Amino acid sequence: MGVIDASAFLDGPPCVVIDKVRMTYRVPSSDGRSSSSRRGLRGRITTLLERPNLVTVSALKEISLVVERGESVGIIGRNGSGKSTMMKLISGQVAPTHGAIYASSTPVLLGVNAALVPELSGDQNVVLGCLAMGMTREQIDARFDSIVEVSGLDSAIFLPMKTYSSGMASRLRFAIAASVNPEILLVDEALNTGDAQFNNRSKARMDELRAQAGCVFIVSHGLDTIRDMCSRVIWLDKGELIMDGPAEDTTATYKDFSSNLSRGNNLTAAGIKDEARANLVATRVLERASGRRMEGR
Amino acid sequence: MSAKKAKLPPPAAIQPLSVDIRKLSRVGSRPGFLDYLVQLWDYRQFIFYDARARVQSGTRKDRLGSAWLLLNPVFNGLTYYFVFGLLLQTSHGIDNFVGYLVVGIFLFQFSAGAITSGARSIRNGKSVVQAFNFPRAALPLGANMREMLSAVPLILGMLLLIVIVPPAEKVSLLWLLTIPAVILQGIFNLGIGLILARVISKVHDVTHLLPFAIRAWMYGSAVFYSYERFVSDPTILAVMKFNPLFNVIDIVRSCVLYDRVPAWESWATLGVVALGALLVGFVFFWQGEETYGRD
Repeated sequence: MGVIDASAFLDGPPCVVIDKVRMTYRVPSSDGRSSSSRRGLRGRITTLLERPNLVTVSALKEISLVVERGESVGIIGRNGSGKSTMMKLISGQVAPTHGAIYASSTPVLLGVNAALVPELSGDQNVVLGCLAMGMTREQIDARFDSIVEVSGLDSAIFLPMKTYSSGMASRLRFAIAASVNPEILLVDEALNTGDAQFNNRSKARMDELRAQAGCVFIVSHGLDTIRDMCSRVIWLDKGELIMDGPAEDTTATYKDFSSNLSRGNNLTAAGIKDEARANLVATRVLERASGRRMEGR
Repeated sequence: MSAKKAKLPPPAAIQPLSVDIRKLSRVGSRPGFLDYLVQLWDYRQFIFYDARARVQSGTRKDRLGSAWLLLNPVFNGLTYYFVFGLLLQTSHGIDNFVGYLVVGIFLFQFSAGAITSGARSIRNGKSVVQAFNFPRAALPLGANMREMLSAVPLILGMLLLIVIVPPAEKVSLLWLLTIPAVILQGIFNLGIGLILARVISKVHDVTHLLPFAIRAWMYGSAVFYSYERFVSDPTILAVMKFNPLFNVIDIVRSCVLYDRVPAWESWATLGVVALGALLVGFVFFWQGEETYGRD
């Protein structure tokens, strides 16, 4: 692996800078190998008092990316490759274990993530969610009808949210999240649920938002969607960056990889992945010296 | 796949890229303390709306609805009256023991409720925290605002009981002093709630200890006995008199039951402790701003 000596120079201010970001979770594991080996009273007590066996899961290995204004970036990969973690990190929902993410404005994640307050009615949740996104009451009043329309809930909007089906709840969440016009838009389509009618409506709203946004990140399992919507696609696998390039190239390679995988040609698939990785040109972010470091830790 | 773990080849090259991040800000970063307070002010509508909506929905499941805001402490008061007034006779030497008890229990209930819900606000609001970017202190603030709102019928009920239940007390202008005392109490609750909210978001086990701590605090606040009767040690007495809840209860009792102007020392202690708790609470909570909502 070689380091290119001459550093490239990005003229304009970028939209999103992902600088050496790593993400690990510590989660309890029900794997009891370590505790069952303890015998006797003392061992039992230790087992009882001990916290559940914590294991470290590395969701995203060190990764750096720079995204400029006007780019739309697709993220592809198998389940558990770190796509959704990446989106959560960029949106600021979770903080990275290491590294930092800089953005020119607050990124808005469009998905069904905006969990709300189940005891409150739908319309109260709309107001609360919009206020939480920093809108004023006047703005909310102006947009309330269109939010209800996008959600397609009609009069059910006045019922408590806990009476909603999961589909209804996610439609409302989407409608609330989609009510602002963000500069940096994150779309997690892998999470999208809903009936066909809603999908059409949400797609229309999403297209509208995408057209207005300065830069877009899209996670989707539909490779065609990604290829059509994105100018640049990155491929993640098990938390590692495998490929970063034009939409056509990356999706083609990934399609090749996954079709080999589904036919059971694991070695061929691994070969494709390794080759893609071996050709990857990773980025290292150099902060321009004149700038002050933004409250980093 | 083969049993041995495939090693991923390293990238072909690493391209250093110089970028200007001066105009960018770190996602989810904590603003300076004053900026934080300004942000909170910008989110005031969120805080009020959150508080109001939840007050209304809190008792919606019950048939008697909002009446429980009042009935709850009334039943509580009756229980304590039965045990400590009738069975154990702790009332010796206390004028108007029912009134004494009512003031103690109602005011204690306000603090206990406010501190508990403030402390749990971040944990309970985790989904909202993860979904939206807003100054996190809005949640404990909203919880305390909500408790403050439900304290209004509570306090009115308390005063009503004192007027109705014999020996009935006469309403005087001194009763107005209840208002600043309860506001200072609310400020104290908020401060403690902010501190506990951060602690509990980090160490969840503390929620299990909270009810015990609050119970112990109640016993230490002369809610249903007269401290003069049981506490003779001057040091313990001095410590007790520093307790803000004790001071609030004492102030309200003096005004409402005994028609005495409360001692300035009580006001001073209460004010200093309440504002101190608020300041410490805000700074402490703000320092943990980036950690909330993490798993």
